[in-house]
Amino acid sequence: MLRKKPRQEEIIAEYMIQNKERFYRLAYSYVQNPDDALDIVQDSIHKAITSKTLKDEKAIKSWFYRIVVNTSLDFLRRKKKVTVVDDTTIQLQMSGHQDHYTDIDLHQSLNELLPEYRSVVVLRYFEDLKLEEVAEILDLNVNTVKTRLYKALKILRVQMDSEEAK
Amino acid sequence: MNDKKLEQLKEQYKEIPIPLELNRVVYQALEKRNSRKSLYRWGVGVAAAVIIFSTSINVSSAFAKSLADVPVVGDIVEVLTFKKIAVDKGNYQADLDVQKVQMDNKALEEGLNLKYLEESKALYEKFMSEMKAQKAFGEDGHLSVDSGFEIKTDTEQLLSMGRYVEETQGSSMTTLQYDTIDKQNQLFVTLPSLFKNDTYIEVISESIKKQMKQQMEEDSSKIYWIESSDMDPFTSISKDQDFYINAEHQLVISFDEFEVAPGYMGVVEFVIPTEVVQDIVVSDEYLK
Repeated sequence: MLRKKPRQEEIIAEYMIQNKERFYRLAYSYVQNPDDALDIVQDSIHKAITSKTLKDEKAIKSWFYRIVVNTSLDFLRRKKKVTVVDDTTIQLQMSGHQDHYTDIDLHQSLNELLPEYRSVVVLRYFEDLKLEEVAEILDLNVNTVKTRLYKALKILRVQMDSEEAK
Repeated sequence: MNDKKLEQLKEQYKEIPIPLELNRVVYQALEKRNSRKSLYRWGVGVAAAVIIFSTSINVSSAFAKSLADVPVVGDIVEVLTFKKIAVDKGNYQADLDVQKVQMDNKALEEGLNLKYLEESKALYEKFMSEMKAQKAFGEDGHLSVDSGFEIKTDTEQLLSMGRYVEETQGSSMTTLQYDTIDKQNQLFVTLPSLFKNDTYIEVISESIKKQMKQQMEEDSSKIYWIESSDMDPFTSISKDQDFYINAEHQLVISFDEFEVAPGYMGVVEFVIPTEVVQDIVVSDEYLK
């Protein structure tokens, strides 16, 4: 009916405004530069509004996470990983060199991970989502999520241990 | 890998800097959907009985005050607060003033009054459904809507009045719309009606762009979106852009928040120097 749709759109809009930073960071963790991350946030909002795929308003959280993750993955696929590094990132990484003993480099560590592993780590550990939620967002079953997490942590561990040995 | 390292990674993740543009990007992306047209469209089929007008209208102090402010010029055109709609439920506040004009041209009077009433109804509806949605969502939201009107110009000849709507929901968003009435001829003045042909759109747009550039040069804290690198740069006013005529007989073009500039710039206005449009105005009756 006439009123049902605008109401849902309002909910979506409000949700995005409140959680924009979260989604920006998520996008950033994939593309690793501000411009592309902003593009992804923008694209994700457009998709969210036009797709009208939100069936249950309670599911808005995982629904929108899923859109951002998919938009990011699409972006990476298109770009085939020609990593553009902006000035801020370069500076961050350069200044990070001096105290490299204690700092683990997020960019590098995550970059070493394939996107499918990256997704589970970011969503589970950085966004503090439940295993079930991660599974729902990535359209996987819970066991696959667990396996991927395990593998991802293993890769990270090897990486960091070797870094520590340096 | 131990938890400590994971914690470290997480901290770095949380520290990913948020660029200033994020706000704008999000609002603009949402804006595309939420064009003002749809905001004010009012389905005729929807039962109109939903509004509960507060019964204390006629005795409220705000009403008395607004009565005192009513510009009365003979008995040609009067504007007054017709009704107040108030909702006060904790974090949810609505305060809507519905204005009403009185004039000799009854058809115009009725048309305007109907428009004002419907706008307020739409606002009220929107407010109520948002409040319900937020509550259903289990969120302790904040929502307030404040609307009313202000007289911009009131001369013997012209009356320009603006209706403002301020919606606050975390951040606030103000929209303004204007109506201009030729009191002597009892006519409603539209932007196209002032000019001989459509060239005014370009002429005015160019003047505005020039002013935007100049203002930005003079004051670095001012930002307008006019560069092609901006996501949605200002290129042209619309055919029926909001406007009013000020007491100096100049055309003033108004833009809503976020329409051509970041939110902190608020509602922005540009006075169009009359010599810029001199050649294309129909007559020098209104613009001098």
